[in-house]
Amino acid sequence: MIKPLLTRLLGHLVKQNSWARPHLQPYAGKHIRLQLFPLSATLVVLEDGGLGMAGDTAVHDASMRISPSLALRLLANDASAHSDIVLEGDTEFAIALGKVLQAMSWDYEEDLSRVVGDVAATQISQRLQEGVAATRKQAVNLTEMAAEFWQEEQPLIAKKRHVEAFNRDVDILRDDLGRLDKRMEKLSARLDALLKHHA
Amino acid sequence: MTDKTHFGFQTVEEHEKARKVGEVFHSVARKYDLMNDVMSAGLHRTWKRFAVEISGVKAGDRVLDVAGGSGDLSRLFSRKVGSEGSVVLTDINASMLGVGRDRLMDEGVPVPALQCDAEKLPFPDQHFDCVIVAFGLRNMTHKDRALAEMQRVLKVGGRLLVLEFSQVWKPLAPLYDAYSFKLLPLMGKLLAQDAASYQYLAESIRMHPDQETLKQMMLDAGFGKVDYYNLSAGVVALHKGWKTV
Repeated sequence: MIKPLLTRLLGHLVKQNSWARPHLQPYAGKHIRLQLFPLSATLVVLEDGGLGMAGDTAVHDASMRISPSLALRLLANDASAHSDIVLEGDTEFAIALGKVLQAMSWDYEEDLSRVVGDVAATQISQRLQEGVAATRKQAVNLTEMAAEFWQEEQPLIAKKRHVEAFNRDVDILRDDLGRLDKRMEKLSARLDALLKHHA
Repeated sequence: MTDKTHFGFQTVEEHEKARKVGEVFHSVARKYDLMNDVMSAGLHRTWKRFAVEISGVKAGDRVLDVAGGSGDLSRLFSRKVGSEGSVVLTDINASMLGVGRDRLMDEGVPVPALQCDAEKLPFPDQHFDCVIVAFGLRNMTHKDRALAEMQRVLKVGGRLLVLEFSQVWKPLAPLYDAYSFKLLPLMGKLLAQDAASYQYLAESIRMHPDQETLKQMMLDAGFGKVDYYNLSAGVVALHKGWKTV
């Protein structure tokens, strides 16, 4: 009974974000496989612009693969993480769906208000947001502490400025090699010309 | 000499099947919903709601509910299509149709109810955006003809949804058999005073094509693409077919 339940949740999400329907409708009938290791699911765009779980025999038109580390970056709102999502198949469809999913939000306060009333829902929502913000801050602090430890105390990861300096050195080396290559070619051509002249 | 077909586990003359099925549903009509709730532990409502969600029906669409009997799906669809769209409830059985029509009227849901044979639908070609048949196909004498008719009345891009009992996941089969052939007729006897009709229901489920066979039948009927969902470990399957040309 997982498919009816998930389809109902997706339907609810699309209903709350009704702006999404016209963006999805051109892709009606298309299937996408979402892989977030170890989970995977295939979604279908319905004819009314909604989203549902695909059937057991569905063949996907596109796939979107997110590694666990990338998922963490996405959760941390790392803007550069989006370009690391692996898209395959009908990429136009996958990009369009990705943008819609990214922009969708769950109005849980609205849902909660139906159960506990508006005032309680607002208060619970505020507490929840405070809790999430505090947890995120603590996670960032912990990560920074760990990074500092592995950079200063037990050097395991390189500092940003060291990596940048190394990258600059590599660039200089690449340019020097390029120049050396050109000079070698020129010398080789001159040597060939001299040999021909003496022969 | 006429062709034979099955009526549950019995083999009967083709022309007899519709009458026999009619008798079964005439007998169970009044308590059909109660028995459905008891037999499926209320799950038939979830299956039907899921079928409506997967249909992709939107406001303004035309929907045909074939073998719609008690009108559950017509009610759900009429909410989706709104006042600009339309839903037509049909059933070959007058008793079942009467129950559905009266209930929808009592609830203020304006759905036209029409008694007709799914093998000869009285509608023009390419008329509906969606056709649904829930727990009705297995009772039809010529399933291939009924599927072809449903394909005919669909617009290009339209969808047929077939919600029907199917082949259960193998490890659960012994338990499901015990339930179907022992408990189901007993419940029919106790709740609807009609063990024989519920014995037929159990038998007709076993005689119905499995998921893959039904998918192939839909493709043979002219649907360009067919996909199906196994629900509750295959106790029920929802097939969705698209008319592509």
